[in-house]
Amino acid sequence: MSGSLNQEGQAASRPALSATHLSKAFGGILALNDVSLEINASEVHALLGENGSGKSTFIKILSGYHRPEDGGEVLINGEKLTFASPTSTYDLGCRFVHQDLGLISTSSILDNLYFNAGFPTRLGTIQGRSARKRAAVDLEKVGLSIDPRQLVANLTPSMRTGVAIARALLNDESSHVRLLVLDEPTATLPQNEVESLLNIVRTTAQSGVAVLYVTHRLDEVFQIADNITVLRDGSKVATTPTSSLDRRELINLLVGTEFEDIHVESQNLHSEHGADVLTVENLISGPLDRVGFSARPGDVVGFAGITGSGRESVLGATFGATPRDGGTVVIAGATIPPRKPANSMAAGMAYLPPDRKVSGGFMDSSARDNVTISNIQKFWRGFNINRKAENREVAQWFSELGVRPSGAIALPLFGFSGGNQQKVLFAKWLSRTPKVLLLDEPTQGVDVGAKAELHRRLLKAASDGAAVIISSSDVDELAAVCHRVYVMRDGHIVKQLDGSALTVANITRECLGSQEEKSE
Amino acid sequence: MSNVSQPALGSKLRNINFGFDRFSGLYIWGLFIVVFAIWVPDSFFDLDTAQGLASEKSIIVLIALALMIPLAAGAYDLSVGATTNISAVVVAKLQTDAGWPMWNAIAMAVGTGALIGIINGFVVVKLKVNSFIATLAMASVIASAIIIITGQRQPIPPMDKPWLNLTQYEVFGFQSVALIVLAFAFIFWWFMQHTPPGRFIYAVGGNPEAARLSGVKVGKWTWVSLIISGTTCGVAGVLYASLIGVSLTFGGSLLLPAFAAVFLGSTQFLPGRFNVWGTVLAVLVLATGVKGLQLATGQQWLESMFNGVALVAAVSFAVWRQNRSKARARSKELAGRETK
Repeated sequence: MSGSLNQEGQAASRPALSATHLSKAFGGILALNDVSLEINASEVHALLGENGSGKSTFIKILSGYHRPEDGGEVLINGEKLTFASPTSTYDLGCRFVHQDLGLISTSSILDNLYFNAGFPTRLGTIQGRSARKRAAVDLEKVGLSIDPRQLVANLTPSMRTGVAIARALLNDESSHVRLLVLDEPTATLPQNEVESLLNIVRTTAQSGVAVLYVTHRLDEVFQIADNITVLRDGSKVATTPTSSLDRRELINLLVGTEFEDIHVESQNLHSEHGADVLTVENLISGPLDRVGFSARPGDVVGFAGITGSGRESVLGATFGATPRDGGTVVIAGATIPPRKPANSMAAGMAYLPPDRKVSGGFMDSSARDNVTISNIQKFWRGFNINRKAENREVAQWFSELGVRPSGAIALPLFGFSGGNQQKVLFAKWLSRTPKVLLLDEPTQGVDVGAKAELHRRLLKAASDGAAVIISSSDVDELAAVCHRVYVMRDGHIVKQLDGSALTVANITRECLGSQEEKSE
Repeated sequence: MSNVSQPALGSKLRNINFGFDRFSGLYIWGLFIVVFAIWVPDSFFDLDTAQGLASEKSIIVLIALALMIPLAAGAYDLSVGATTNISAVVVAKLQTDAGWPMWNAIAMAVGTGALIGIINGFVVVKLKVNSFIATLAMASVIASAIIIITGQRQPIPPMDKPWLNLTQYEVFGFQSVALIVLAFAFIFWWFMQHTPPGRFIYAVGGNPEAARLSGVKVGKWTWVSLIISGTTCGVAGVLYASLIGVSLTFGGSLLLPAFAAVFLGSTQFLPGRFNVWGTVLAVLVLATGVKGLQLATGQQWLESMFNGVALVAAVSFAVWRQNRSKARARSKELAGRETK
């Protein structure tokens, strides 16, 4: 599309999105390396890649969050995008629907559609009838024919996504929608809802909007996408028409053919195993459908799976952080009641939640208080808390885990970087010397150095006799530290990988495998 | 990356600066004293003024401390004023009308406060009613209960020596009520800063979900905090009846000064955290400011105005400071963050 600027008459042949030579480095590491991408109007273009492949960075450049390195350029329908400017992105007609839809579920569809765009009003009063008519038209554009007065809370998940898309597509006078970016729209949808969402996406594309469709689910890529772009380690591996690929070829593009033989640290661990310390049977909770597994002292067990596979729910349900609808959890012979974290802890379990800001840490409290909150009785000496002993112990953990700034045990947790916050929370649970250590996304948002330190510590905990269970979206991490990895799909454990079969490529392959393959 | 070392540098600087961030209340207090000592030297710089202020404000301190505990646990107790009021009514009426011995009447009054705390806790924890609503409703229920108990007639507290000496016995010129409240302040400080339950209460207020996942029983400690608050207000009511006397509606006017003090106190000593000595200091600063202005201008509307403005100023200051330090932390984290 060279010289498109002076071909005003050929607007239809201009690509809706033309991104060229986009790169982005963080702290010297290239997260995105010279990626170019073109999408035409009415095209559904799938963007695929593992975690850390650069997908999010690419989208964040489009949305005006990141500014790419010099030399990159993005044209929306031929007009140049001003980087790091959300308003420019909006004015040129880019719209985004994220996994978190941002709908207010206690309000009606109508209200959700027009909170931002504005209601049709006369003298400041909302004109009910014309607003409803307009809402019906806007919903029709995405193929939904539902009463806009319904509450969002009463809709099915795919309908909710549809409402979010309809809202994103609202035209205002100043800008015409050219590009819709859908970031993992089906990640949290049940299988039977996916089809109706795909219909919504199809209808949207047919109305002339280009759709960039980001997903981990390969089945739907083949159903919906015209073209596919695959990213790996920040670089574009391929852009091809969907029809030219089959499933296996696509997986190979995603995973890469080279054998990444990461040194498997855990295999060097010699643990005198013995009897199971943790036995979970028929666990039912959220997406989980009768999941069972067990672990012995010294084991490092991993859980892998894409978002929505149930992988995120296993540890919380085991610990009692989230409700359990069925199944038993037994630790060293003692049955653990559901939803009673204090009992689970007393039995020797420790649970590091996946989101340290929301449920893991006390961000406004000092690092010391964070470390000792679940173990404070230890320092009670009849009349007061032994501050000196407490400080000494926390300082010891600081030096053992290499927390920076060193010795800042009185600093509020929010004053530490992500990696150091995570180290503080590690210390909190390690100081209880748990029998079973459950780690949910133990190194999310953590820098490389801290990650290695945390891995070293969790392996040490295992060699000291704890059973360590890790649930992680980081496949490299699982392959690097686990003795065996359970792969989850649709709420079931579908595969156990260990020994020489435990490779990044195998885990990824199993995570992406489809329903049909399983039954074959 | 050089700003990673900032916290360490900051703490070093704090050793040589004058602590304006954590001790601003002390400076303001000093400023008030100096200004009013110059402005109205005769009436302000008078020992009687100081002593009068101390006993008058002691009860506000106690109610503010009571309120501080549930606030630290993340729960509002809007019934503190009403609870104090009904306790005063109970202790007076039982002695004068029913002829109860003093200590029995006191026990009953404090017990009434405890019972209110237990009911508040039940409604908040078990019925899961928002604490703001639950305790606001409780305040209204208590107001009616006071009318039922008294039949609209103001109870007269006894006039005998032991009852008056409870709060008005003079020690070094200060009335004993100030010492009782000071003792309570020490107990509260010990409880919140030096015992595990204090940590648990702060944890529940800081992040209830993280507290639950740390094995802290969120419901239990919320409930305990409301019982402490109710019981303490029971004590405050007894002291009020002994020191000042009883009316049917005095409780309502105690709520806002207490709130202002607790929130203003959360900007002092341990910034960002409701704390005992900050609360005590805040009451003193507010009282000194109000008293001085009253002496200087003779206006009676000053107190409500001063407390209202101070409450908004304290909360906005606390929010501003928190946002600033969080923004700093965030920019630091972004600089050192790995790519995702």
